[in-house]
Amino acid sequence: MVGWEFPPHHTGGLGVHSFELCRELTLMGHRVTFLTPFTGPFTEIPGVSFRYPGEPAPARSGSTPSSWPTAYDRPIDLGRPYPEAMVDYNGWVAALDGLTEVDVVHVHDWFGTVGAASLARRLGCPLVMTVHSTEYDRSLGHPWKEILDREQSGLDAADRVVAVSRHLKAQLVERYHVPADKVRVIYNAVRPPERLARLESPESVVLYLGRLAAMKGVDTFLRAGARVLRQLPDVLLVVAGEGPEYPRLLTLAAHLDIADRVLFLGKVNEEERSALLARSSVFVLPSIVEPFGIAALEAMAAGVPTIVSKTSGVAEVARDVFAVDFWDIEEFASRIAELLQYPTLRAIMGDRGRTEALREGWPERALETVGVYAELLAPGWVR
Amino acid sequence: MKIVLYLHLHQPWRLARFRYLDLGSGRPYFDDERNLEIFRRIAGKCYRPTLERLARAVDSHPEFRCSLSITGTWVEQAHRAAPDLLSRLRALVATGQVSLVGETYYHSLAFLLAPPELAEEVALQRQMLEQEFGATPKLLRMTELAFSDELARFAAQEGYLGMLAEGWEPLLRNASPNYRYSSHVAPNLAVLLRNYRLSDDVGFRFSSREWNEYPLTAEKYARWIAQSPGEMVGLFMDFETFGEHHPESSGILDFLSALPDAAARETGLGWASVEEASALRTVGFISAPTTITWADQNRDLGAWLGNDLQRSAFEAAKKVGVLVRQSGDPEAITAWRKLLTSDHFYYMYLGGHGADLGVHQYFSAYGSPYDAYANYMNALTDLRQRAIARIHR
Repeated sequence: MVGWEFPPHHTGGLGVHSFELCRELTLMGHRVTFLTPFTGPFTEIPGVSFRYPGEPAPARSGSTPSSWPTAYDRPIDLGRPYPEAMVDYNGWVAALDGLTEVDVVHVHDWFGTVGAASLARRLGCPLVMTVHSTEYDRSLGHPWKEILDREQSGLDAADRVVAVSRHLKAQLVERYHVPADKVRVIYNAVRPPERLARLESPESVVLYLGRLAAMKGVDTFLRAGARVLRQLPDVLLVVAGEGPEYPRLLTLAAHLDIADRVLFLGKVNEEERSALLARSSVFVLPSIVEPFGIAALEAMAAGVPTIVSKTSGVAEVARDVFAVDFWDIEEFASRIAELLQYPTLRAIMGDRGRTEALREGWPERALETVGVYAELLAPGWVR
Repeated sequence: MKIVLYLHLHQPWRLARFRYLDLGSGRPYFDDERNLEIFRRIAGKCYRPTLERLARAVDSHPEFRCSLSITGTWVEQAHRAAPDLLSRLRALVATGQVSLVGETYYHSLAFLLAPPELAEEVALQRQMLEQEFGATPKLLRMTELAFSDELARFAAQEGYLGMLAEGWEPLLRNASPNYRYSSHVAPNLAVLLRNYRLSDDVGFRFSSREWNEYPLTAEKYARWIAQSPGEMVGLFMDFETFGEHHPESSGILDFLSALPDAAARETGLGWASVEEASALRTVGFISAPTTITWADQNRDLGAWLGNDLQRSAFEAAKKVGVLVRQSGDPEAITAWRKLLTSDHFYYMYLGGHGADLGVHQYFSAYGSPYDAYANYMNALTDLRQRAIARIHR
């Protein structure tokens, strides 16, 4: 698997998806070699081995000490390409040795496509590419050509393409001219939370949790929150996550005169995340562009009534949510206020949302992924 | 054997999107334009062509009978969207072959409220029928064909000859629905029962190609009825069955047109209005300690008050009713009554009755039951604030 980030140091849905997929694949009896440009640490999974450029000269026989530059020691933000390192990483992937019994090469997103394609060719394996988001989405319509080219070459070389929503599939067909019959839709999922208790608190917390990137529409969250605060002055808006939009959002909160009712928490860890969800009354995913939106599914799984933008991938699968046009600030505000004001609505959407989010999980998604591999491999490959 | 054909004419005043932020803005709760647009569409597909077919049946078959219940909200919309329908109805009623049935003006859940709400709403509809069509209803049907001993008592007190009810097995204890019954608690009150199998053959199954009786012809249907044991068969259904639930292309309108001819060819088969049927001899007593309706597979109130959203909305509406009455503001009372229309609660249905969810979604004015609930509660909250402001003025 030619990947990018991997837990514990991940910033988005891609890292979660890679981790859960690897875990489920190994539980099904498959072995995974995960290639990444980062040095780790990596959350251990039995049956998954990690390789990265500059890895300590291993006990692997026949592998020469790497002449490639060392990998990054921490994740960098997507959308800020480091062209040289990218070229180096792909070269390293293409030339990687010490790989045995590979049935399929599976690449995620754009950064490793060129290397993955040559590796698959060299090993004589089919190539599968999962697209978690496109450069058009991440750049809100101002794509970097270098990245577009890498996305395109991966999509062209791949024998099968996996998109995390129908919306994303349509985009791949339309903008990248991928034949529709080559694309399979496999949604993201969420793991049942360990902590199910909800904490009642006197203050109503409305939560945004995710990266602070332009495509996430966090300013809509603040503007809608400001409208709600005019009517319900005790509401607390919580923004958890980090990203390039932070300074602008901070300024916006001050400009809207709600700085004392907004809490910017920065990056939160797993434990803080579940504590936050446990005491939030409403979760909002106001993304302008959102190929899937795992955070919304996590909030639902934690029993938090959820509002998503209509264009998000999660809106394709979740019925027990409010879906709102991403530009409709008044409607976001009204939906937030309705959930805060009507406890029956909050309770029922919370309960039913949890059931819906957990109806299918990563095991089902991994099975679907293996189904895609099986389409490309000899009959009888699936045990 | 008498065919008792009874059709129900109703359209609700659907709410506009009334956002929480719209509270206190004075925005209208109801989207008149959208409602009238829907009404015009259904008038073209269903009301007008079906009334034409009924007029022809009345002309060519002096024995043909049909009974109609018409809600006040339907008539209000007809006045603004398709007034020709009202003159067509007047002409039908004038022949004496088409009779009218009483119910609540607002197709409401008033029968679950404290008196005198139900009596007032039933009186409003009666006055409306007298004014519009010059006829007084002699029988009563309750919203969604609800029936109970309590309602039977009410109908008897109000002087009605009978009530309509679902011919549901638990109510009949294996007796046939094809007879005239009396109420156990009001022995002078006739209870006319819906034969739901024969009614649903037309109402639900007519256009289903998977049905082993497809296609249903008027001849086959008339023969089934003629061969059924009993003295009357209650074919009770929505008027929208003809041209709306089943499109004209399904042949449903031609089926209706052909039915009087087909019935005439069967020996012993005739027609009866609800009044005529209530004059048949009684064969037994019907007792309904709890309310039964014609909806879903459980025939209970689950479709309107089966989940917490629906119950909490209805409880909230009850409380607002007290304030609205206290305010004495006639506009507020009218708005509140429009909010009691059962359709609003139907839209908040969350499923749980098996295949019925599809039926609910077909009829829903919203994308989801949550949308329906939030919107309803916003309008109700606004009405509450209006009533309180009025009281304190």
